[in-house]
Amino acid sequence: MSEIVDESATTLEVTAPSSPVLPPENRATQRTRARSATLHLILGALGVLFLAPMLWLFLASIDKNASWGIEWPHFSLINFKHVLTGSLLHSLWNSVVLAVISTAIASVTGVFAAYSLSRRKIPFKGPLLLFIIFSSGVPLAIMVIPVYEIFSRFGFLSILPTAVFLSVTSLPFEVYLMKNFIDAVPTDLEEAARMERASTFQVLRRVVIPLAMPGIAAASIFGFVNAWGSFIVPLILISPSNQQPAPIAIYTFLTLPKAEFGNIAAYSLVFCLPVFILYAVSSRLFREGFVLGGGVKG
Amino acid sequence: MASLQTMDTITGPSMSELWKTRHDKSRYQWSSFGLLTPAFGLLIILFLVPMGFAVYLGLTNLTLVGPTAVKWGFTGMQNLERLKSDTSFWSSLRVTGVFIVGSIVGVVILGYVLASLLMRAQPWMRMIVGGIVVVAWMMPAVTAGMTWYASTTGGGAFSSLIGMPNTNLLDNNPLLVVTLASVWSMTGFAMLVMGAALRNIPSEAIEAATVENASSWQRFRMIILPLLRPTMTAIVLLTGLLALANFSLIYIMTQGGPGNDTNILPLYSYQQAFTYNNLAYGALIGNVMVVIATIFGVFYVRITARRL
Repeated sequence: MSEIVDESATTLEVTAPSSPVLPPENRATQRTRARSATLHLILGALGVLFLAPMLWLFLASIDKNASWGIEWPHFSLINFKHVLTGSLLHSLWNSVVLAVISTAIASVTGVFAAYSLSRRKIPFKGPLLLFIIFSSGVPLAIMVIPVYEIFSRFGFLSILPTAVFLSVTSLPFEVYLMKNFIDAVPTDLEEAARMERASTFQVLRRVVIPLAMPGIAAASIFGFVNAWGSFIVPLILISPSNQQPAPIAIYTFLTLPKAEFGNIAAYSLVFCLPVFILYAVSSRLFREGFVLGGGVKG
Repeated sequence: MASLQTMDTITGPSMSELWKTRHDKSRYQWSSFGLLTPAFGLLIILFLVPMGFAVYLGLTNLTLVGPTAVKWGFTGMQNLERLKSDTSFWSSLRVTGVFIVGSIVGVVILGYVLASLLMRAQPWMRMIVGGIVVVAWMMPAVTAGMTWYASTTGGGAFSSLIGMPNTNLLDNNPLLVVTLASVWSMTGFAMLVMGAALRNIPSEAIEAATVENASSWQRFRMIILPLLRPTMTAIVLLTGLLALANFSLIYIMTQGGPGNDTNILPLYSYQQAFTYNNLAYGALIGNVMVVIATIFGVFYVRITARRL
């Protein structure tokens, strides 16, 4: 698109009588080429700046004598071997438990709510939707002090109640996302199922959920990533140290008197891996649903 | 209505029932209530109740340990008085403002520049640079904080990049560095969203302007910017909200220090509640954050609700 624009701009100009040196097409192509080179140069520089902080993570993780600096690694996988044992491995497992449970709760309760907000006639539907949007915008993690006081009173400062709280922090956005997807599912099939006297649950399970699956998957991935990366919530709400998830373990690395650079990097990388995989698997879903782009057309 | 429906399923509707129930209008169904209850129940118990509780807690003398951890009560405006004269709070508010505004400005500008340049770039460039920026965005905040700490401390990547390998950039310009880290970790989102919005701009509009000899600045100012405004507003608000709550990144990098230089409100609230044991005062600072988030949230609702 832009190339056409550029050419028309330059051809318009060359009709003006001020091109003594070069023949018109030549100057036009030269200019486009120079412009394209500048563009790629700027992008390259930006890419390097964005890459620089990550570089340490990759290099140090495979370096057996790593430091904070960027250096050519003394290649070895010993760091990964070190961090995938004992309590560090257990912390990763805790992260899995935390994220899976909270995602399951948010997605299951969310899809029911999203379906009924999308299809049913509900009293105060407008205010309910506003509440959902509002609470999806406001980061619920800042509610952590009152929740701490409530949980400590009931003896809930452990992994399962924390998973429930984490599910609530991603629930509003999941509902919003799934509602938008269910809105787009045609009602014909649902009506056909109704004709066959299918119950609400059957309609949901056999018709709506399969058809809205991309949206439900995108919402679940959002929930999983949200719980997986959460730091302040488990830091405050989980008191037994053997239930702490991986982010807390990463933080603990930093508080050790002698920093084990290679291990920190390797562990952080392992911790990022599920997020990257989920993103890669679902980048199409994300582009359709997660990113606001499609909806926020001008 | 519910009983009518169950009878329907057993016997099939009789003519008189069909007559009574209007089928041309949608009706309330009891099962909707059942479908909504789990989600809204959770939201009420773990969002609305704690929110109300926090308002009350902010006006008490609850502490984490000691006698007032068990026997605590309402102390009225005492905490508010304290907040008014608390210089650390006001400096924290200022730091939060700088951090949020810096994050928003950086994210919007970098996101737009990347989106519009990548649109015109070669596919391989788009893949590499776009990929790097998206990976930075996907990286969990804890890891992002970790890598930024590593690369801005003495001997880190950025120190080497500017040719002063032994300078500790993080200690020298803490607020600037954490703001840059925050921009780095959120630009990918803005880039993707603005890329999608840019692709939605009809090329005829830009071509028409070009035929009219509009300069590239005029094209940006008169066509692209107005069409992009809703998207930009959404990004500004979301970035602001995420920056306001970005506890993890700063906690990993500086823990609010040195001094109070990067002590944004969530950190200060945490510090008061769990380091100095003043749970009630921490809750009050949390309430200030909720107020700020609500202001952002109201605007966010206003622009989002239009699309329902």
